[in-house]
Amino acid sequence: MDIFLQQIVNGLTVGSLYALVALGYTMVYGVMKLINFAHGDLVALSAFAGLTIYTSMFADGGTSMVAVITVFMFTAAIIAVVGVLLERLAYRPLRTAPRLSAVVSALGAGLVIQNAIMLIWGPNMKIFPSDLFPSTVYDINGVVVTFTQLMILLFSSVLMIALYLFINKTKMGTAIRAVAIDQDAAKLMGINVNRIIMIIFIIGSALGAVAGLFIGIYYRGITFDMGWMYGLSAFVAAIIGGIGNIPGAMFGGLMLGLFNALISGYISSAWAETFTFMLLIVVLIFRPTGILGEKVAEKV
Amino acid sequence: MRILPKVAASVAVCALLVTAGSAADVVKIGVQAPITGKYANEGQSIDNGVRLVIEQLNANGGLLGKKVEVVSCDDEGVAQKAAICARKLVNEGVLAVIGSYTSGATEAAQTTYYRNKTLQTSDGTSDSLTKHKYWTFFRNSFQNSAQADFTAKYLVNEKGYKKIVVISDYSSYAVGLANSAVKAIKAEGGNVIYQGKIKSGTQNFTAVLTKIKSMKPDAIYFSGYYTDGGLLRAQQIQLGIKADFIGGDSNDNPDFIKLAGKSAEGTLLVNFPTPDFLPYDAAKVFMKDYTAKYGKAPSSVWALMNVDGLNAILHAAKETNSLDTKKISDYLHTLRDFPGITGPISFREDGERINTKFNVYEIQANGKYKIINK
Repeated sequence: MDIFLQQIVNGLTVGSLYALVALGYTMVYGVMKLINFAHGDLVALSAFAGLTIYTSMFADGGTSMVAVITVFMFTAAIIAVVGVLLERLAYRPLRTAPRLSAVVSALGAGLVIQNAIMLIWGPNMKIFPSDLFPSTVYDINGVVVTFTQLMILLFSSVLMIALYLFINKTKMGTAIRAVAIDQDAAKLMGINVNRIIMIIFIIGSALGAVAGLFIGIYYRGITFDMGWMYGLSAFVAAIIGGIGNIPGAMFGGLMLGLFNALISGYISSAWAETFTFMLLIVVLIFRPTGILGEKVAEKV
Repeated sequence: MRILPKVAASVAVCALLVTAGSAADVVKIGVQAPITGKYANEGQSIDNGVRLVIEQLNANGGLLGKKVEVVSCDDEGVAQKAAICARKLVNEGVLAVIGSYTSGATEAAQTTYYRNKTLQTSDGTSDSLTKHKYWTFFRNSFQNSAQADFTAKYLVNEKGYKKIVVISDYSSYAVGLANSAVKAIKAEGGNVIYQGKIKSGTQNFTAVLTKIKSMKPDAIYFSGYYTDGGLLRAQQIQLGIKADFIGGDSNDNPDFIKLAGKSAEGTLLVNFPTPDFLPYDAAKVFMKDYTAKYGKAPSSVWALMNVDGLNAILHAAKETNSLDTKKISDYLHTLRDFPGITGPISFREDGERINTKFNVYEIQANGKYKIINK
């Protein structure tokens, strides 16, 4: 039993990371009907940027809560700016173009970011210091949870709940939902569509940045091409949950993480990816709009 | 203007002579290594090591009176790229190729070199590398099964582990080493309770480790590479699995310790003697020259093995006074105890390096290695 629970804990940790990344895909899709393939590379960029900020500001090893919070704030801000630039340079000029052009532009932008990371930080694996978070381990009846895992679970749930409330309970959130339903009508109501899209990119990129930093802190080794791997998993999570749907992305991410952990734990890690895509196909056959896709008429 | 064609012709002839002349005065040595990608620090060390040897050789008059030039090709440790590198280096007309680092990339290029009578020396340890008995191929390291036998004896007889778990990734090298280890452990009367596989580069190995935790092993043997090994060790400790971790030769890299962080302490590594522990004078001189030129030591013993392969080939060319690869190869097969950086070098008829020796290292709290086998 404790083995099963351990797999659940492992799965939920990875799942929350997927969910954070998936939110970025799903929000952009909801508002712009664009699959932002560069999003995964933003996640990778955030891990590298975060590592550089940490080593240049706190190189003398003074690890404190202040240092960690500073790194998160700075990195999230930088990645948000990059996200906005990405929208300005790669997507806005193509807003009225056929959707395929924008997708190609997204793939291209992803390659640009990935190669920029390689040129700036080099092709070798970079390694996060191990003392960013205390290495405390909690053992609850044989189920082991580390401090880092707790932080990941806690932070991602707080961020997800905050995002949910923001979208559903605030004026700005209402505006975002309005733009998602009909851009032209929203414009007639006096909503600044460009500003809403900018906000979407700021939020999505910042969430991706948090995920990227957690990936660095949890797994330690980061490579310039890791964005593709996490991006693809998160993209699948977003589709499974119902792309364009915020609770769907959260649910899809957690579900994918759990599914992967259980398949690797009880069948074989080699089959995890195969089963993931089989799950995707099955979901698409029976619920083409994703598991939570139909319940919500408006897509944000 | 009837003179023009003649001038043109003579210019062309001169040009031909010049190129032919320079081609004959230069001997090319190829390097096929993962200079970028996951194993970049190993690949770069191999490239640096070869360039250092050739630079010193040229300063002393070159090979048989000819200048030696190094041509490098980056295979990124990927089989497809390795096949392209093989073509490229053969077209460059190299005498011999040093590399590659991984067995997979070496195997993908091997046949091309054999067909084009180009010598190749590699540190790849897959048993399959010498199974074709290509006369062009020389292994400068050791066979997986030799390492597996040593490891099994150590784990079962010296350490007395009762429940051993063996993990590998899916690469031909790691699977080969893991299978040989399992066979050897069983032959020694040991008990392998589980043989698992991880997917290299996926970073999250907790699922497999959790499964292993329930089996309560006293030793985990990992036959893959350091990029996964370091994380595997870190996650093992994180999950509270109190088993000794024994890494195969490819875990011998400074990045293993960086990735594992504090968990690196107490890890056991089985490998050839690492550069610092090599007792031979040639090793000390080489390490000094290398560090002086590049500002850091080679990342592991693999670069030195490849340099040994290169030195053996250069020695054979000098002894036979020939650049004929068949003659060099025949000489190498009879070579006995040539003093290399990593110990005496002798080759068997199938290109296998014989009489290699292993050590077990324990990683200390300060990240240093300590030899612990007898």
